Amino acid sequence: MKTLELTIDDKPVTVEEGTSVFDAARLHGIAIPVLCHAQNERPIGVCRVCTVDCGDKVLQASCVRPAENGMKVFTASDKVKKHRRMILELLLSDHPSPCARQRVSGDCELETQAAAEGIVAPRFSKRVSPRGQDDSSLVISVDHEACILCDRCIRGCDEIRQNNVLGRGGKGYNAGIAFDLNRPMGNSSCVSCGECMVSCPTGALTNKSVVRTVLPGGDPVGVEELKTLPFFQKVSGTFLDLNKNAVIRRHFKAGEVICREGDYGSTAFYILEGEVEVFLSSMSSKKETAKEAPSLFEMFAHVFSPKKKPGSPAQNGGNIPIDSVVDLSLDNPVARLGQGDIFGEMTCMNLYPRSATVRAKTDCVMLEMLRNVLDVIQRNKTLRAEIEKNYRKRALEDHLRTVSVFSSLSPEFIENLSRRVELVRYSRGEVLCRQGETARYFFLVRIGFVKMVEEHAGGDLVLAYQGKGGHFGEIGLILRGTYAFTVTALDNVEVVRIDAEAFQEMLAGFPDIAFNLKKVATERELHNQRHSAAVSAMSLEKFLGQGLMEANSLLVIDLEKCTRCDQCVRACSDAHEGVTRLVREGLRFDKYLVPTSCRHCRDPLCMIGCPVGAIRRRNSLETVIEDWCVGCGLCARNCPFGNITMHAVPETGAPKAALAKRKATSCDLCQNLPEPSCVYACPHDAAKRVDPNDFFRDLISPSIDSGPFAAPDVPHGGRR
Amino acid sequence: MLFDDMREIQHRFGYLPPDQMLELSKKQEIPLYKINGVAEFYPEFRLTPPAQAVVEVCTDMACHLRGADTLCSDLEQKFAKMGKRAVEIHRRSCLGQCDSAPALTLNEVVFRNVSTELAETHIQAKLANIDLPVPAFEHQPVTLLADPYRVRNGESVPERYSALRALVASRDFDGVITTLKDAGLGGMGGAGFPTSIKWDVVKKARGDEKYLVCNADESEPGTIKDRFIMTHLPHLVIEGMIVGALVCGAKKGFLYIRHEYKEQEAILRAEIDQCRRDGLLGESILGTDLSFHLDIFVSPGGYICGEGSAQLEAIEGKRAEPRNKPPNSATVGLWGKPTALNNVETFANVPQILANGVAWFKAQGRDGAAGLKFIGVSGDVQRPGAFEIPMGIPVSEAILGLAGGPAPGRTVKAFSPSGAASGFIPFDKFRDTHLDFKSMRAAGTMLGSGAIVVVDDSRCILDMTLNAIIFFRNESCGKCVPCRVGSQKLVDILVGWTRGKGAPSDLQLVADLAETMEQTSICGLGQFVPYPITTAFKHFREEIDAHVLHKNCPAGVCPIASARAQGQAV
Repeated sequence: MKTLELTIDDKPVTVEEGTSVFDAARLHGIAIPVLCHAQNERPIGVCRVCTVDCGDKVLQASCVRPAENGMKVFTASDKVKKHRRMILELLLSDHPSPCARQRVSGDCELETQAAAEGIVAPRFSKRVSPRGQDDSSLVISVDHEACILCDRCIRGCDEIRQNNVLGRGGKGYNAGIAFDLNRPMGNSSCVSCGECMVSCPTGALTNKSVVRTVLPGGDPVGVEELKTLPFFQKVSGTFLDLNKNAVIRRHFKAGEVICREGDYGSTAFYILEGEVEVFLSSMSSKKETAKEAPSLFEMFAHVFSPKKKPGSPAQNGGNIPIDSVVDLSLDNPVARLGQGDIFGEMTCMNLYPRSATVRAKTDCVMLEMLRNVLDVIQRNKTLRAEIEKNYRKRALEDHLRTVSVFSSLSPEFIENLSRRVELVRYSRGEVLCRQGETARYFFLVRIGFVKMVEEHAGGDLVLAYQGKGGHFGEIGLILRGTYAFTVTALDNVEVVRIDAEAFQEMLAGFPDIAFNLKKVATERELHNQRHSAAVSAMSLEKFLGQGLMEANSLLVIDLEKCTRCDQCVRACSDAHEGVTRLVREGLRFDKYLVPTSCRHCRDPLCMIGCPVGAIRRRNSLETVIEDWCVGCGLCARNCPFGNITMHAVPETGAPKAALAKRKATSCDLCQNLPEPSCVYACPHDAAKRVDPNDFFRDLISPSIDSGPFAAPDVPHGGRR
Repeated sequence: MLFDDMREIQHRFGYLPPDQMLELSKKQEIPLYKINGVAEFYPEFRLTPPAQAVVEVCTDMACHLRGADTLCSDLEQKFAKMGKRAVEIHRRSCLGQCDSAPALTLNEVVFRNVSTELAETHIQAKLANIDLPVPAFEHQPVTLLADPYRVRNGESVPERYSALRALVASRDFDGVITTLKDAGLGGMGGAGFPTSIKWDVVKKARGDEKYLVCNADESEPGTIKDRFIMTHLPHLVIEGMIVGALVCGAKKGFLYIRHEYKEQEAILRAEIDQCRRDGLLGESILGTDLSFHLDIFVSPGGYICGEGSAQLEAIEGKRAEPRNKPPNSATVGLWGKPTALNNVETFANVPQILANGVAWFKAQGRDGAAGLKFIGVSGDVQRPGAFEIPMGIPVSEAILGLAGGPAPGRTVKAFSPSGAASGFIPFDKFRDTHLDFKSMRAAGTMLGSGAIVVVDDSRCILDMTLNAIIFFRNESCGKCVPCRVGSQKLVDILVGWTRGKGAPSDLQLVADLAETMEQTSICGLGQFVPYPITTAFKHFREEIDAHVLHKNCPAGVCPIASARAQGQAV
């Protein structure tokens, strides 16, 4: 190896060829200040703090300047120090001082160096447009304001760890670090290895305190022990160490309840030993479902509530989706899980209430884990493949059968299909399929909720929300060739995706499925057309402002006829075991009172997130709450009109059953009566159930033809 | 090629939908962050669905002088109520149409000499889905001295590509380097670095894999000469490239052209196709064992792509961020291999010198300068355009003679000899300076890319300076701190001055910041950001002081002037 001789600050030094000036100085005890360079990373020379005078026309970043024979380097001349100071001053002018790191440990590298240079108040004005914070990761908090774009995290992620998540986005003064397609960190493919965080010189990437959360009531599990479990082998040791308390081991005696339906939780369970049973206590006493006559609307209703099996109820009770690899049958809502199974993923990832009660069938040992750990496991390719394999083996058949139209698939075909489907994850806001694009997949929702939207020139129209068991893509694959609507993930969504080829094979091999799917597709298509026709005719601001056009069925009271006798409220109470679902108060529109009573919205926000799919549409556009409501109250909080109330239910004392202590109720339009009792009871013909778009047509008609149709998201925006 | 795949997606959807990028990432096995990095970096790519009419108005230098800001705000006002899904109006960087300013693009199509009415008509047509013909841009046929193959009365016309044919026959590649050295040909992109040395380094570099790149990304405000050369002399550019490739031993080359130059791209593609048919390009040139494969690389946009090493990064499918030098691209260039990178005009000069000889070349210049030069003259002149001049003519001859001088009743106040980078210098002081690299440097300025932008006596130097620095701020890639942060802080301070918010201490701060940016930025862009203001300090100090110290805009252009006129406190 050739050696080079040069002087640094008048000190003669000898180094091997290829050594940078920075290293040449370092090897001879001269420390050059730097921000963007770390010894374990490839130098890139972007911060320019390590700038030195090598006798060239301009100064050079020493970390990237190769040393040369006879070079005379000055690392701390007045000229060098002046420019280094200016660079620190520029950086500090946009830096939120003290940043998170400076506050906690006092060692933000920028602030330390700036202080050493005596820079207190930068002379430049601060950045005007904020760059923001990103709190979406469970482990790392991102403060873009504190970022100095040294790219150390980027090299840590892409070159050291080779995780390939982090890069630079934007350009010029608007450049910043970006995860994947500039997603929030928590929604990106980041595996939370922590390398970016340990690489960051400032408070831009810091460890979150959530990792210090201690799960109560279990035994701590050492990193080494965890690493012996196949499930954790691939997880970064640094990560497990940082998250020591986020996984614990728990023992359950046979018969002990592990989690209860309706409870809020934030953990998932991994069964190490033993067997558990999963059931809905609210269903255990009444296995009979509501009596529904099959109708023309059957398939159509299924669109909105796919959990229900069309055809004779006696033939098959359908399934209740729960947060597990299996679903519960309506006929026999108990399932078993054993060693190696995970449950509670959805509660853990999306913080939904528990969808079912889980009880130890035998003595059990479990690992209970927080969201950050589950998240890392789900992001790991190998572990993900495990989960997927397990899912294919155990759950696909169940899952396909939940979707009524597939109930006739032969086991062989499911076997064949299971090798050809993929499990795909989408994060909040991500588009699963876009209206007008070539239909290539059929989708079945496994975890989370999606929103189906039809895009119109005047705005978007929400057609439905779908949770576990929901499906879409068939209109595109069967009728149009292109997707009929845009489907977006509302939270962390996982779907089973069947490609067009397998789907067509299925249609060819199972004519009854083909027939049913075509029917569903046609019904959906028809419904959509009616739906959008009705909506696109509306325009009155107030009408929209009150969200009335969103309603399918609206209780209105003509205030000119009403004598305030309260017969309607009494009738409602009588019809519903003494609990009224109607309060004679509310917004006014023209001479009508719109009391707080379910409007059976076109865009039923209440349905988002129901952990057991109890709030649903049964055989029409009406929204009902089924008996298996676990009382979590999510729908009541979601309803923008306050039309769902929570009320206590008496305990029945059935053995072993954990009971819901309260349930949600909402107007069911008196399902079993020919007419809603409030309307029937009104002696003055003041109360009416109407379709607002027809009923108010005259009131709003003057403006029907004038002005562009305001997008339905106007009332949304106002309400939420 | 990544950019081609992204273009294809954008062509289908109008933008880059995330799911498509996801699929592309899987298909090409390119990490998402890399796709996002370039999608967000290059102005050609969109991440949101476009409106029915997307209008991008150039507001740099010549367009700024010709009322682009008013045009833009007029359009914004007229179409504000239509909503974002109908009409989008943005400001954008120079389109290279400085001789027909103001210019804008409507759904990617360039419009020149735009009036508000014209723009409005075409936007309305887009909204109504009517296809209006784009006003055509007529090229006058020109006879250029620079073309050794031009038709001459009575003289026998050498066949095009004769210089190349002779070289293939003689294989005297060292002779080419000697000839270029004797002619004194320097880089015409602006730096004037001797071409013979550059080619010699690449030729002597070890390894078989070498590249040759033609920089046709001219994006600096005022620079329109390469567009002119590519329109009228495409055969010289291609011939120069093939000669260069043979001399340097490059088997593969790219002509890097900005995506807004669609017309020139088509002309060059036709020329390249013709060469392939004639056996001048490809595997076996004129039946010999020599080969050279040449492709056009369409830039996804951005002034920074004109910086040599950034251009190579772009060709490699990355963000166009300049590399730290040394090493230079002649030794470590495209994909780490030795690369000869020259400007359009440099390549066009090579066949001239080879066909006509060094003596002819030297005789073309005036007063000791050699060769011909292509320049653009725009701004406050009556006949803006691109011109072929003998190297070394006085400034006044170009501005007053060729370009027709200022409007009647106006005088020329100042001019910028090299677009945004050179800053404005007083015409009276430099009117007799010769337009060649050496004379201009000696006079304390630069010839650069030959982009003369003229301002008359009604203009404010601070306003023009700020306009130039805003251009650099917008075009900074953001890689290094002094340029990324410094350019924004400089804009902040100068905007303050135009609004009467200057403090005396600002003057020193700007001088200090300018020095740091010049000394510590990675590339020429960052080093030149403060040049317009330091030039203004040098030549128009009183006018700057009037803004900063006396809160007055002598030309009555800056916001501070209208505030004064209305009697507001400033």
